[in-house]
Amino acid sequence: MRRPSIEEHLSSDRLSECILGEPDAWIAQHIERCPACRAELGNLREALGEFRGAVRSWSESQAQAALAIDSRPPESHSWIASHQLALALLLAAVCILTSIVWHGGESAAPASDAVLLNQVDAEVSRAVPSSMEPLMKLVVQE
Amino acid sequence: MELSATSELERAIRPDVAALAGDFEALVRLYRPKVFRFALVSLRDLDAAESVTQDCFLRAYHARVGFRQDCGMQTWLMQIAVNLIRDQIRNRRFQFWRRASLTSEPVDVAGHRIADGARSPEAQALLNERVAAVWEAAAKLPERQRTVFLLRFVEDMDLLEIAYATGMKEGTVKTHLFRAMRAVRTRLGGTA
Repeated sequence: MRRPSIEEHLSSDRLSECILGEPDAWIAQHIERCPACRAELGNLREALGEFRGAVRSWSESQAQAALAIDSRPPESHSWIASHQLALALLLAAVCILTSIVWHGGESAAPASDAVLLNQVDAEVSRAVPSSMEPLMKLVVQE
Repeated sequence: MELSATSELERAIRPDVAALAGDFEALVRLYRPKVFRFALVSLRDLDAAESVTQDCFLRAYHARVGFRQDCGMQTWLMQIAVNLIRDQIRNRRFQFWRRASLTSEPVDVAGHRIADGARSPEAQALLNERVAAVWEAAAKLPERQRTVFLLRFVEDMDLLEIAYATGMKEGTVKTHLFRAMRAVRTRLGGTA
């Protein structure tokens, strides 16, 4: 492996070796003597460390969110649902009863209609109005 | 509280397969957050991550008798998770929904980091930018590079553990990791 001079900065792979631990002695020496590589290594370590922390925090928050969804009290939801269902059933029952009563009334109507029509027929078929019928009797007798 | 891989509980569980069979619930409590986190950061989809996590422990439960203890419990579970995530990523329906969600609502992962009071607002903003840059760079990595990168830098697994979990050779893991680091560094503004 070719060693870079002190003017030459460490490659990404050499920096990775440092981050993974146990770099060769000359790499460690270079880091000690080269402020640019030291800063680069420090920045990389810090970014990866913060990345780890951020991912762990995010994961925990996601796990808690999932737990909150799972443990959401089902009673309130089912209570509302059951009341809504009961109300819907009640309304349906009222509608059905109203419909039955309404149609029941309609079935009685034809009989009364027939009586009324007979009365109308009887009135129409009279030769004179009922109030003049006595006079008509006198005329006929004459 | 999340326990570390070398916690008392893991040390108590690891030597005894019978304990694994007998107290599987303790294992789930211990490792579920890690498996879920890895699935979530790999898939970036809450429902898919939960599904993978459940499948992972279901498979682990069925395969618990065959666990040879030639690796740590976390590594073994991660091996199962890596395979499930790979299957999920290759699922065409998932690819469609993932594309749709990524274009509609980007995840603000940097915003979830608790601000450090010691930093100035400018320094914090700069750091948030850098975290977002790493997040974006990780999203664009090829699948294997991303898996290796996340196992190393989110789950703190060493090269040997990653090699076991992914079924790659240690040298291959290192190569993928270096390539991933190059891409991340380029995204951060450094020279590859």
